[in-house]
Amino acid sequence: MVFVNLYRESGKFRLGAVITLILIVIGVLRTPLLNLAVGDTDPMAVGSFGIFLDPTRDHLLGTDRFGRDVLGLVLIALPVSLTVAFLAGALSTVLGVVVGFVSGYKGGRVDSVLRTLTDMFIVIPTLPLIIILAANTRNLSSLKLALVLAAFSWPFAARVIRSQVLSLRERPYVELSKMTNLSDREIIVGDILPNMAPYVAIGFAQASVGSAFALVGLTVIGLGPSSQMDLGRMISEALGYGVISLGKELIFVVPVALLILLFLGLALISQGMEEFFNPRLRSQA
Amino acid sequence: MVTSTPTTTLDQEAELTGGSGKGGRGALSPTATYLLRRLGLYVLTLWGSLTASFFFFRLLPGDPISGIISQLQTRGQYSSLDNSQDMVEFYRKEFGLDGSLGQQYVSYFRNILTQFDFGPSVLSYPSPATDLIIRALPWTFALIGVATLLGWGIGVVLGTLTAWKRNSRWAELITNGALGLSHIPPYFMALFLLIFLSYRGGLLPSRGAYDAGLDPSWSLEFMISAIKYGTLPVLATVIVAVANWMISTRALVVSILGEDFLTFANAKGITPRHVLTRYVLRNAWLPQIAALGLALGGVVSGNILIERLFVYPGLGNLLVDAVIIKDVNTAMATVTLLIFMVLTINLIIDLCLPLIDPRVKFTG
Repeated sequence: MVFVNLYRESGKFRLGAVITLILIVIGVLRTPLLNLAVGDTDPMAVGSFGIFLDPTRDHLLGTDRFGRDVLGLVLIALPVSLTVAFLAGALSTVLGVVVGFVSGYKGGRVDSVLRTLTDMFIVIPTLPLIIILAANTRNLSSLKLALVLAAFSWPFAARVIRSQVLSLRERPYVELSKMTNLSDREIIVGDILPNMAPYVAIGFAQASVGSAFALVGLTVIGLGPSSQMDLGRMISEALGYGVISLGKELIFVVPVALLILLFLGLALISQGMEEFFNPRLRSQA
Repeated sequence: MVTSTPTTTLDQEAELTGGSGKGGRGALSPTATYLLRRLGLYVLTLWGSLTASFFFFRLLPGDPISGIISQLQTRGQYSSLDNSQDMVEFYRKEFGLDGSLGQQYVSYFRNILTQFDFGPSVLSYPSPATDLIIRALPWTFALIGVATLLGWGIGVVLGTLTAWKRNSRWAELITNGALGLSHIPPYFMALFLLIFLSYRGGLLPSRGAYDAGLDPSWSLEFMISAIKYGTLPVLATVIVAVANWMISTRALVVSILGEDFLTFANAKGITPRHVLTRYVLRNAWLPQIAALGLALGGVVSGNILIERLFVYPGLGNLLVDAVIIKDVNTAMATVTLLIFMVLTINLIIDLCLPLIDPRVKFTG
C-alpha cells in the first residue's frame, strides 16, 4: 500500500498524522472523557462550580467566569471545531476535485475560465466575504458554516488536482486507451482516477487547513454558530471577559494550543505527502 | 535552465490569449495583448467579487430596512419612535433600498463609480460610509504595508542566507524554528505578544492606535505614539511572515545553488560574497515578488483579526463592527476597499515584473 510506505518514509507525515489522530481520538472519546472531567454535570451549565478557580485535581484546567469547568468546555468544543473543519475540508475537496478535474481534463476554453475563477478566489482576501456571509446566515449550524467555508476553500484543492490531471493526461497508457477508442468515462475511471487518490488526499489536507483557518478567524471574533461551543468561541468569550488582565490565560491558552496543533498536524500531513509523491520537492526542503 | 514562477504564469496567460485571440487581435503587439488581458482580468475580478458581496446582502430573507431603523433607534440617531410609512420610505430611499433589485444594483455601482459614494452608514448616521472608511484606511494601509515589507524583506534575506550556509548548525536551527513558527496563525502570535509584552511586560500598549490624549497630526510626538501602538500588531504579522518567506526562499535558493552559472561564477574567481549578493539573492527576490501578490490576500484577512484584537481603528475592525450591527453600507464599503487594495497591488506587481525581471517578458 502506498500510504504505508508514505508513513514509513516521511517523518513529516508521521508526525502530522500522529498529532491529528490524537486530536481526533480525544474528540471521539469525548463522552467518557467528559465523565471523568465533570461527572454528570452539563459542561455548558452556568454556575456549576466556583468562578475562576485555579487548576486543582477536580478541575485540571480551572473554571471560567461562569463557573464552568474549562476542561469540560474544551472537550465539547474540540469535536465541534474538528467536525466543521473536516466537513468543510471534505465539501471543498469534492468541489475542488470536480473543478480541477474538468479544468485539467477538458483543457482549452473551459480550462481558462475555471483557472481564472480559481486564481480569483486565491488572490482576493476571502475572510471579509466569509464574515459577511456567516453573519447574515440565519440559524447558522455546523453544516451551514461548513458550506460557507467550503465555498471559499475549494481553490486549494482545485489547484492540486488540476496540475495532476494535466500530467496524467499525457501519460502513455492514457494515449493507448485513447487510441483503442475507450470513452472519456472509461479513461477517467480506469486510468486517471486510480492515480489521483494521493492528490485528492493532499487536496483534502490543504482544504482542511484553509477551512480551519477561516473557521478560527470567524469564531474568534464571535461570529460562529451561537448554539454550540467551539474552540474559537472559547477564545472569543475568554477575551471578552478580560482573562488576560485577570491573569487567567489558561482558559484560552488550551484552545489556542489545540488549534495550533490542528494546523500543524494538517500542514505536516500535506507537506509530507507532497514531498513523498512529488520527489522533486524532497531535495529542496 | 532557469524556470521561475513568474515566467510560467505569464507564459500561460500568453498561451491563452494566443488561443482565443487568433486572427482578430493579430495586429496588436504581444505586450498590448498581455496588458489588455491583465487589465480585463482585473476589472472582471473586481466586478465579480463586488457583485457577489452585493447579492450576499440583498438576497437575505426579510426586509433590511426594519433592521436599520431599529439600529438607528437603539443608537439614538433616529428622532421619532413612530414607524410611520413616510419614515420607512424616507430611510428606504436614503439607504438605497428603494426600487427593484436590478435598479438597486445599477444605482449602487453608479454611485460608487461616479461619486465614490456607498450611502449613509448606520454606525454613525448620517455620516456617509465613505467617511468612515477613509478615516480607517490609513491605519490599515500602514499596518499591512509595514508588516508586509518588513516580513518579506527580512524573510527573503534570511532564507537566502540559511540556504547559502545550509550546512551550518545555526542555519539548521533557524530553519527549524521558522518551520514551527510558520504554522502559527498571526492572530495567535498576537495573543502571545499581548500577554507577554503588554500585560505581563508592560512594555507596549494593548489597544488603540495612538495615545488617547493626542490628536492625529504629523507632529513628532504623535508619530512616536503611533509607532509605539503599532509595534505589537505589526510584530505579530511580521514574525509569522518572516518564517514563511524564509522557508519558501530557502527552498528556492537551495534549488538554484547547484546551477552551472554559479559554478562558473566561482570558477571565474568572483568572491563568494559577490556571488551571494549579485547572483543568488537576485534569483531569489525576483520570483518572490510575484509570490508577494498571492500572499497579500491572506495577510489582509489575518489583519482583520489582529485589528479586532488590538481595537485598532482600521478597516478590519470597522468591518466587524459594521457586520455585527448589520450596517450594510459600511460593511460593503470596507469589503470593496480591501478587495480593491489587494487586486490593485497584484495588478501593479504583474505589470512591473517584466520591467525588473529580465527573464519575464510580455509574450503574446
